Amino acid sequence: MKSAIVSQTEIIHLFKSAIVDLKRNKVRSFLTSLGIMIGVLSVVMLIALGLGLKNYIKGQFESMGANMIMILPGSGFTGGGGFSGAGVVGGAEFDERDVTTLRRVRGIDYIVPVTMKAVTVEANGKDVFGYVMGVNDEAFKMFNTKTIAGSLFSKGAGTSQAKIAVLGYTAAEKLFTNPKEGVGQVVRFSDQRFKVVGVAEKKGDPEQDSAVYVPYKSIYGSLNPKKTFWAIYLGVKDEKQLTQVKKDTEEALLKRYKEDDFSVTEQSEILSTVNQIFNILNLVLIAIGSISLLVGGIGIMNIMYATVTERIKEIGIRRAVGATRKDILLQFLMESVVVSLLGGLLGLIFSILIVLVVRFFFPAAVNGLAVAIALLVSGGIGVFFGVFPARKAASLPPIEAIRYE
Amino acid sequence: MSSVIRLQDVTKSYFLGEEEVHAVSGINLSIQKKEYISILGSSGSGKSTLMHMIGLLDSPTSGKIFLNDQDISKLSDDELSMMRNNNVGFVFQQFNLINKFTVLENVILPAKYTRSKLDFDPVQRAEELLKRFGIYDRRNFYPNKISGGQQQRVAVARALIMKPQIILADEPTGNLDSKTGDEIMDLLESLNKETGVTVVIVTHEREIAARTRKQIFIRDGKVVDKYL
Repeated sequence: MKSAIVSQTEIIHLFKSAIVDLKRNKVRSFLTSLGIMIGVLSVVMLIALGLGLKNYIKGQFESMGANMIMILPGSGFTGGGGFSGAGVVGGAEFDERDVTTLRRVRGIDYIVPVTMKAVTVEANGKDVFGYVMGVNDEAFKMFNTKTIAGSLFSKGAGTSQAKIAVLGYTAAEKLFTNPKEGVGQVVRFSDQRFKVVGVAEKKGDPEQDSAVYVPYKSIYGSLNPKKTFWAIYLGVKDEKQLTQVKKDTEEALLKRYKEDDFSVTEQSEILSTVNQIFNILNLVLIAIGSISLLVGGIGIMNIMYATVTERIKEIGIRRAVGATRKDILLQFLMESVVVSLLGGLLGLIFSILIVLVVRFFFPAAVNGLAVAIALLVSGGIGVFFGVFPARKAASLPPIEAIRYE
Repeated sequence: MSSVIRLQDVTKSYFLGEEEVHAVSGINLSIQKKEYISILGSSGSGKSTLMHMIGLLDSPTSGKIFLNDQDISKLSDDELSMMRNNNVGFVFQQFNLINKFTVLENVILPAKYTRSKLDFDPVQRAEELLKRFGIYDRRNFYPNKISGGQQQRVAVARALIMKPQIILADEPTGNLDSKTGDEIMDLLESLNKETGVTVVIVTHEREIAARTRKQIFIRDGKVVDKYL
């Protein structure tokens, strides 16, 4: 009537008797599943943190819009195997001339020359650490910045030498407690006084939130004596034109610079590189976490062997009343799977709780992959490490088992 | 022929180091349906080995065993398990109940392993048996919380749950005082009378054996005419 397939009622019965047996040794069952719990916890947490880091970095890039092209000095992000920012020896030093050149490239939505300097900003009797970002008015379009008070740079002001500033939310909060009160105040850095015209809303990006945006020409001679830019960002009107715009940009710049002196990179290229890096990182983290799963699995095997020895008599009785080898095998296998799944489930619950707490500081995330790994792997470990003790139990000759004392 | 069990030239031998020991050698016997019979032998006579083979727990080294005229010597382990489940009920000297299960759970355990459709509800039948044996009020007790006599009744109920053809009782009174032992024997005897189940008692006690209708004497692994 029945062959290789285990029926549903049989599974239910096996599951129930596994629970009964595990309940009898609550402490031992718990300690056994603890190994798997810690293993699953570490794997899920590592994935969650890896994923969080990836999301965080991705978010940083994506907040600047997807249709963006970055022009950096040096051979660049994708070519040279890393960021080569401003000040790279031999790299191009972009200036106003390049901005003018690039304005002629067709299909461009905005051009933002960027100068960035870390400074101490003073106002209201306090001083805080912040970034001065020399940009034009188009930067706010790029960053998708909105104000909570005051206004952003007007078109003329953004390209003027006016000593005005837009404060990032955190910078304003630190200086004025109530960020909105920053408007109309004066901030000082590098012996320069800037009038605050607007305060940006909170972006969640530490760099943007602590930034002090000023017209890029306003720091010529002071923070930027050479009148050069750290980078130039381009926005493309239509995503379909991205490749063409990138090509035209390269051609335009090649008239002035050598090929190795600058790089033109699409946002998507950076994103795919970031993705690649984090996928590898995640794999490494999973591999490290798996070691504790392996240890947990060995713990299960150890306990199951002890359980089999303890219950030889019971096995003999069951065999005498008609249990087949398969019945005994499945009984012990079910126990190790239940212990293991229990550990997996506990590990998952704990890691979700931890992630919920961590999320206040860091965008960690438990994804489907983590849940699937927790449940499948712990179930799999139960089967893999349970099968050897279960086979031992099943292969006991009934006559010897029932005589065992 | 209406034998339940027939042994034909059955030998069971094993090795103790280099030496071959015949626990059972060349036994021929047949047990008829509805028979109430005892196998009498001293310790080491081979009676337990014989019982294990009759109960399909062990297989002979040579010879044939027929259950309902079917040769079972060639059956697989799984087939033997199913045959035990369907046809044989065991009662042991040590009761052999599973202590983590209640009385009722112990009695219905064999039904968990059946491969065929039952014509009765195991729980209902178990309760009927327990009522009949006067231990229904103990149905939710664990075996180590009831007396030896009660435990052996539970074991008998478990042996009967699958409506077997044969009950094999290995020293069923060995762990009981004589009064309780007598009660168990009465129970087995009445079961044989009323339900027609074949009952085989394996014992070393003449008085116990004397209660059955027929005796088989075993000595040195052989059937002998007289018990010495």
